[in-house]
Amino acid sequence: MSETGPRRVRGAWRPGSGGPLGLRGLRRRMAGPWRVSVAEASMTPSIHAGDWLLVDPTVGRWPRRGTVVVFREPGSEVLAIKRVAGRPGDWIPFAGAWLRLADDEAWLVSDADDAELAGAGSGKPVDSRSYGPVAVEALVGRAWFRYWPLRRTGRIPKAPAAPFRRGPGPSPAG
Amino acid sequence: MSILRAIAPRTTVHAHCDLPCGVYDPEQARIEAESCYRIIEKYNASEDATFRARALVIKERQADLVKHHLDVLWHDYFKPEHLEAVPNLHQLFWDANKQTSKVKASTNLDDAKKLLELIDQVDAAWKATGGLGKTRVAGRPG
Repeated sequence: MSETGPRRVRGAWRPGSGGPLGLRGLRRRMAGPWRVSVAEASMTPSIHAGDWLLVDPTVGRWPRRGTVVVFREPGSEVLAIKRVAGRPGDWIPFAGAWLRLADDEAWLVSDADDAELAGAGSGKPVDSRSYGPVAVEALVGRAWFRYWPLRRTGRIPKAPAAPFRRGPGPSPAG
Repeated sequence: MSILRAIAPRTTVHAHCDLPCGVYDPEQARIEAESCYRIIEKYNASEDATFRARALVIKERQADLVKHHLDVLWHDYFKPEHLEAVPNLHQLFWDANKQTSKVKASTNLDDAKKLLELIDQVDAAWKATGGLGKTRVAGRPG
């Protein structure tokens, strides 16, 4: 039971197919968005509802852990903003077990914790803990700078510390 | 101001929180409103001061629950496109909430009866917009 066998890479692309790394993919990404406004509060305290951010849409791979990204939410396809907590190949502690991310997947989580959101009158954050890993096809860009409100302009800090770094690998107990 | 408009983003991204379960039914509000109705009946039938005091306290609480359930329907279930099927939607919820406030303060059975009628109208609006099929898991229990 220690080996589950190779995982299929979801939505794998071929060169020239317009995938994230192809020229056509780049052209598509250049279309933006380059600026976004944020709705809802699950990224507090680092990003507030109503903030205006600059986005780099040219990234074709999941950026470093702790980076804030814009992506299409699985299922709803709504544009969402979260922080990269796990990159392809990482082990994620989930539901009392470990989950390994495939070669194109990231684990995206909210900054705000449940208590903060409950205090603000919002519900639980909706992120990878509810919809699972996100494939790189859904990546739209990297949020890197806040340009409004003026008193809080500046680079968007990387996470204080990503909730988890490398997992322990497959459990030897299996 | 126009500079601000020029630099304003045209795209919105969501830092999602809250996962709506999608189950809505005016029956929840109606049951709490029926509670208020019965409490008023019992209040008026009783001479016991302690019982009457308790009845008032509980009626306040149930009336607040009516408001809560009405508000959830109004904010979360009903969508702008439902206004076509139910043009008086906002007035209806306004009236029903106002009537709930009245029931909260009143010991007159007619007030509670009027609230039940208004909730029945909300129920009709919910049915007219397909609420029964869309939001309950397997319709209302028969």
